Amino acid sequence: MSSAEPYVLCELAGTAYAVPSRAVERMEMVEQITPAPNAPAFVDGVVFSRGRVVPAVNLRLRFGWVPYDLRTRLVVVAHAGRAVGLIVDAAREFVTIPADAVQPPPEGLAGTGGSYLAGVATLAGKVILILDVAAVLEHTATAAPDA
Amino acid sequence: MDTPHPRAAAAAVPRIAQATVPGSDDPDDLFPVYLAECEEHLTAAGRVLLALEPDPARHDRGHLDALFRNFHTVKGLSGMVGLREAEHLAHALEGYLGAVRRGAVGLSAAGGAALLDGVKALEEVIAARAEGLAVPPVEALVGRVAALLPADDAAAVAPAPPPPDPVARADAAARAGAAVWRVRFAPTPALTGRGLTVTAVRDRLRAAGEIVHAEPTVVPGGVSFTFLVVAAGDDFAAAVADDGLTVERYEPAAAAPRAVSLTPANLVRVDLGRLDDRMRTVGELVITRARLENGLGRAAAALPPAEWRELRETSRVMERQLRDLREGVMRVRLVPVRDVFARMRFVVRDLAREAGRDVDLVLTGEATEVDKYVVERLADPLLHLIRNAVSHGLEAPAERVAAGKPSRGRIDLRAAAAGGAVVVEVEDDGRGIDVEAVFSRARAAGLVPADAPVDLAGVLELLCAPGFSTRDGADRASGRGVGMDVVARAVEDLGGTLALDTRRGRGTRFTARLPLTLAITDALIVTAGGRSYAVPQSAVREVVAVEPAALTAMENNELLAHRGVLLLVRLADVFGLGRSAGPVVALVVGDGAPVALAVDKVLGVREVVVRPLADPLVQVPGVAGATELGDGRAVLILDTAGLARLARTRRRPADTPGGKP
Repeated sequence: MSSAEPYVLCELAGTAYAVPSRAVERMEMVEQITPAPNAPAFVDGVVFSRGRVVPAVNLRLRFGWVPYDLRTRLVVVAHAGRAVGLIVDAAREFVTIPADAVQPPPEGLAGTGGSYLAGVATLAGKVILILDVAAVLEHTATAAPDA
Repeated sequence: MDTPHPRAAAAAVPRIAQATVPGSDDPDDLFPVYLAECEEHLTAAGRVLLALEPDPARHDRGHLDALFRNFHTVKGLSGMVGLREAEHLAHALEGYLGAVRRGAVGLSAAGGAALLDGVKALEEVIAARAEGLAVPPVEALVGRVAALLPADDAAAVAPAPPPPDPVARADAAARAGAAVWRVRFAPTPALTGRGLTVTAVRDRLRAAGEIVHAEPTVVPGGVSFTFLVVAAGDDFAAAVADDGLTVERYEPAAAAPRAVSLTPANLVRVDLGRLDDRMRTVGELVITRARLENGLGRAAAALPPAEWRELRETSRVMERQLRDLREGVMRVRLVPVRDVFARMRFVVRDLAREAGRDVDLVLTGEATEVDKYVVERLADPLLHLIRNAVSHGLEAPAERVAAGKPSRGRIDLRAAAAGGAVVVEVEDDGRGIDVEAVFSRARAAGLVPADAPVDLAGVLELLCAPGFSTRDGADRASGRGVGMDVVARAVEDLGGTLALDTRRGRGTRFTARLPLTLAITDALIVTAGGRSYAVPQSAVREVVAVEPAALTAMENNELLAHRGVLLLVRLADVFGLGRSAGPVVALVVGDGAPVALAVDKVLGVREVVVRPLADPLVQVPGVAGATELGDGRAVLILDTAGLARLARTRRRPADTPGGKP
């Protein structure tokens, strides 16, 4: 158990995603989002987190899925001095995933979502996609072409 | 005072700065000055009384003179504004102090308590009047003070005699030809080691002449004492001279000597609004210099190189000077945390009595300066932290003794400047936070994973989660957390960070790191398309209620007839929001070619803290930043210059990109 890491388990369009706990700055309800006019389409607006104004990214749109209004939670992740709120359907549970249960993402994983994954884990028969926070932030730094 | 910003009151259409000329003859102008003066005097009196509280008999003439002056001033000012209750109570307190000064009665513990309660009661009376509430009665307290006086001493009810002004006495003596000396003494540990203490100095001065006035002054690094001594011989200076003592002839002030005795003459009170105006001017200067620099760049080819270099060098020097000027203006907004800290003494005193604790509150770094805006918002979080420390952090005296600690608990309240930040700490030597208990509660509530590592940052986060409290009747040992969400919010709102350190059985320390200054501006709060926005007031030239008749449609543009013709831009269109039906209000914005920016309503003017939208994802045109108006929700601050630009390049509403709600 020496190399096991705690994760926050999020749900997005019926799929389980795991975000490393240490990258999570805070979790809150999404009702506090202030729309930012003329921002990229996948940015729903801005929120305050720890005295900073951070963008709230709609992951469904970012990953190229159709917008679907089930969002309930905002998970603010921070990496390399930047913080971005990720809107997910649900984020309630914590899980600890042993490092040896994490596999690299399968080759040939299609779609935009694939490039945001740090790995894939199977926990109690359930597949959990592990988000690469740095990659998510890096990709959201440049406005997507579809915006 | 925690009264809301007067300008925050919702006004249909606020007056714009240029149009507002404060009338200095307005009788209402007197009240704010009265409030500020009273606050100053009552805070000062409270400070002296709390310092004396452990042993009132320890007082000296300086204490009595200072207190007497505080109450005397409050009495006089209260009379001027017609606040009879405050006048009456201050008069009684002044009368008691007069009796003590005359030696008619001693300053007893009961007397000290009555004076302290008097300070609080005066604050309540004055605050009640300021807020237009019923003024609480003072008779009971006046009766208590009167009971402290000898039965035949009518001083408490009769008008007090004019206070014998020591400075006036010294002046009179000097004018009468007597030699009056001003002796300053600044104690240092080295001097104290040699036996040269204030008491020793006073004894020496007394032997050489008559001390007519003694006054302690707080100076950087400690306290210095000033004595006025009337002495017969010219050898006085030689007789008392020693290390740490400066002796000089006292020259009476030529005119209005009484003014010296009230408030420090080197202090000027400046209205914050005026300061902000200067700041704005500095900002404009910075822009002007940037234009100059641009012009110089273009002129490079046309000028002889030597000439050009000289001009450029001058421009560079000017840039540095402007930066200094800007910093200087910012620094004027800084005020010491002293008064907020002093208020905590009252808090500790009351709480300690309630909770049955013996507490020493030790203040450090009271002279540390922070932006006035920050200081005003520091009181609430400090209050919660101090309250937690007294009620939950410190153990009962018996428990402390059993743990091998002194029975009196100690709370340290510290402030220190650290670079561009100010660090404020609240530390107690109590039982410490039971980190395990906090985590097991959080685990039970499913807030953290079952095997989450137990660490201090995690504890702090849990304590600051809204509604999370570890306090329950059965196990108060882990207690902390009451109001911690308020503390965390207040610190974050100020752009600061909060940290926690705690050791089981040893104590707890909360550290708030706050920015020294903030970007603060007055902003109009407007609504458009059902959303609120803030518009920097300095950018708005005029607010115009738009009559439908004054609007002309021309192709896809709207023109507003106002001082000529202005292009009218609807904020709802620019931001892709739905237009609301009904009348609109236009803000005339933009330099050079002004534009009328139409919004639905102007709610009022508020002082807001500007937070940048630093993330590239939300660096959108027309938005300068965001602020928060008290509900945790981000409100966008409009960049009017950007909006005006956007409007000019934009043809018709359908062309606006995005169109997102």
